[in-house]
Amino acid sequence: MIFAGGRLLPDQELDSVLGHLEEELSQSLSGPPLEAEIVLTALDALGRELDSGALDGLIAQYAPPGAREELNRVRPQISRAALEQRLALELGGLSGPRPFGRAEVRPLGVLLHIAPGNMAGLPAFTAVEGLLTGNVNLVKLPHGDRGLTLAVFQKLTEIEPRLSPYLYAFDLSSQYFGTIRALAALADGIVTWGGDGAITALRKLAPPGAKLIEWGHRLSFAYVSQEASREELTALAEHIVRTGGLLCSACQVIFLDEESMKPTVDFCRVFLPLLEQAAAGHYKTAGQAAQAALCARETVLEQAVDRSGCGDRLFPGRCCSLTLRQDRELELSHLHGNVLVKLLPRGEIISALRRQRGRLQTAGLICPDRERETLTTLLARAGVNRVTAPGHMSDSLPLEAHDGEYPLRRYVRVVDIENNF
Amino acid sequence: MLSRQKLFWLSSPYDISGTEARFLRAVRENCAYHIRHCPQYRMICEMEGFSPDQVQAAEDLARLPLLPTLFFKRHHVASMPRWRLALEVTSSGTSGNFSRVGFDWGSVLAEIPMVLRLGFYHRLVSLRPAHYVVLGYRPGRQDRMGVARTMFGLTHFAPPLGRFYALEWRAGAYVPNLDGAVKRLARWARGPLPVRIVAFPSYLWFGLKRLEELGLAVRLPKGSKILLAGGWKQHYAQEVDKSTLYTLARRVLGVEEENIHEFFGAVEHPIFFNTCKKHHFHIPAYARVIIRDVRTLKPLPMGEVGLVNLITPLLNATPVTSVMTDDLGYLTPGEDCGCGLTSPVLTILGRAGLSGITTCAAGAAQLLGKGEMP
Repeated sequence: MIFAGGRLLPDQELDSVLGHLEEELSQSLSGPPLEAEIVLTALDALGRELDSGALDGLIAQYAPPGAREELNRVRPQISRAALEQRLALELGGLSGPRPFGRAEVRPLGVLLHIAPGNMAGLPAFTAVEGLLTGNVNLVKLPHGDRGLTLAVFQKLTEIEPRLSPYLYAFDLSSQYFGTIRALAALADGIVTWGGDGAITALRKLAPPGAKLIEWGHRLSFAYVSQEASREELTALAEHIVRTGGLLCSACQVIFLDEESMKPTVDFCRVFLPLLEQAAAGHYKTAGQAAQAALCARETVLEQAVDRSGCGDRLFPGRCCSLTLRQDRELELSHLHGNVLVKLLPRGEIISALRRQRGRLQTAGLICPDRERETLTTLLARAGVNRVTAPGHMSDSLPLEAHDGEYPLRRYVRVVDIENNF
Repeated sequence: MLSRQKLFWLSSPYDISGTEARFLRAVRENCAYHIRHCPQYRMICEMEGFSPDQVQAAEDLARLPLLPTLFFKRHHVASMPRWRLALEVTSSGTSGNFSRVGFDWGSVLAEIPMVLRLGFYHRLVSLRPAHYVVLGYRPGRQDRMGVARTMFGLTHFAPPLGRFYALEWRAGAYVPNLDGAVKRLARWARGPLPVRIVAFPSYLWFGLKRLEELGLAVRLPKGSKILLAGGWKQHYAQEVDKSTLYTLARRVLGVEEENIHEFFGAVEHPIFFNTCKKHHFHIPAYARVIIRDVRTLKPLPMGEVGLVNLITPLLNATPVTSVMTDDLGYLTPGEDCGCGLTSPVLTILGRAGLSGITTCAAGAAQLLGKGEMP
């Protein structure tokens, strides 16, 4: 399906939509600019509908299971107050009087979003960020988007028809590259979410003049320094199971601040039952439990086939597992509750993590209070962009940056205007 | 030696108890073969402390190393070099993740009696030539999808006079041509020879709806059949949907329920499962099914719902002896069906899970842009 001009259109209309797009974009850009206030009011109304439960049917129909709970978690971040604060924090100070005259903040113009598929709602969210900064948004929906984004766009433009010229969505299956190239040619900025493959492909397709805004895949981990309490470990276990390791902020490796293997084995023996408990609590349906059990089984097989002779030690659990590895690399785990455990003495944090520079995101830190400052500084110096409590690794924190940057700032440009010439 | 051929050539198609010794022997030999020729399979057996001689009774089949279909999607494992294969088949994988399963010549030889016996038993075989309308993929060089092969295979039970495909491979993509299929059907319906529709169930549904929209109720000639295959998604126990589909087929095409046959199989388990006249899947003698607990993967007793584990010694080329599907299902005693077969009935309830695993049929439904069957 395609979303254009506030309407849902069948895929057959693609050529016709593309044929008129340049003209429509010029028209939108030459009209009155999109004020943030219009967007905020519309989002506020949408938020109220969401809170009233009026959209529950829609969510149940279009979003994957568990989306409602996720939405409840991020709901505060899309409240009017939070978005106003974001605008003030991220864009405040960019405009105003200057010695030569003044500086104004203007949208980049047209943003092409290559939206991610790992979290329901993100394709809509990336477009909202574009709207807040006054941009026209062309969204390439992820494979497997179940219609949620299209439904949100439709709802939003129903509430505020003035947003219609600023929202387009394309659910492209075939003809992928040709269409992306055509859309990229019209964009001032290309916002890419995805892995290395997606980003490299996009770089090839993007015209040289377009600004590339890349939210690439990141790796996150937990760092545990002695004396972890049961509560903290339980929170970490629940985080691992809840995210399935699928988010950039999800823990892939649990690093232990130890010098020898013996305490790491002890850690696995203590942590595995907590992970099993979290899995038992989280996988409520037979289908979810089955999927997790299959992934755990797959982990066991992959360890046998791909890692034989590496000296790994596997701790298989019910619907989950821990794999103790000898190296100190931050790497992707087996996902879905199957996590890696490694030894990383604090003296080696910088050298080990530097090897993944540019990919580091969150560190969930478990340590005694007296060491928190030292370890936080060390992790930040190694390139980590977020340091959180273990249970909050994937929570959206109010006014936080995104991978070390303020996104809204990347979707605008500053126009300097000289006085009296 | 030859235990596999004995199982497939000598067994009566639904005689589970009578074939037990033969089945176990074939499984042991099949496993031993994979252990000798497939290093990855050998590693897994070593890790689990498994050796084929541990399989002495039917309940020992649960001890076979259990490989999830996901494993075949992530690892290309083989017990034979490629040049020795008769053919290689892939599962559908819209996201680039697909299984590659090789077939050795011995397995092709063993499939012949299986398909023939089951074809005769279920009255699929006819000497009267028929026209075929395939609401599915045209097999071609561009892909080796298992379902295209199955559908093509299904067009041989009655001598084919002509085949019309609703999914054409054009300029690098499948293009649906449902209206073309409808027209062809209307034309062949006027002739004297039977028509056989081979279809993804969702395609049949949309095709029938289209015919109804156009006000075209046709009466297909006597002996016409509808053969449904492709993806298990459509075989989930949605009795209401099935009966709606059958009613629609009777109303729009004049094909009675007993002439609608359903099949399933998986690329990783290429056994020819047929529905009986009561539309149940009885386990054929060439396979065994174990239902496993969704959390512990331990075998469950008859009647309980769990993950479906399929076992067959058919392939020497690929170690698919015991594969774990991501489908949930349960077994019931064959006698309860009432069709006369006593082999247990497998009912598939649905796919376990959260991730975007797409079956061939779902992929085809997406191509139509119309979602899935209601």
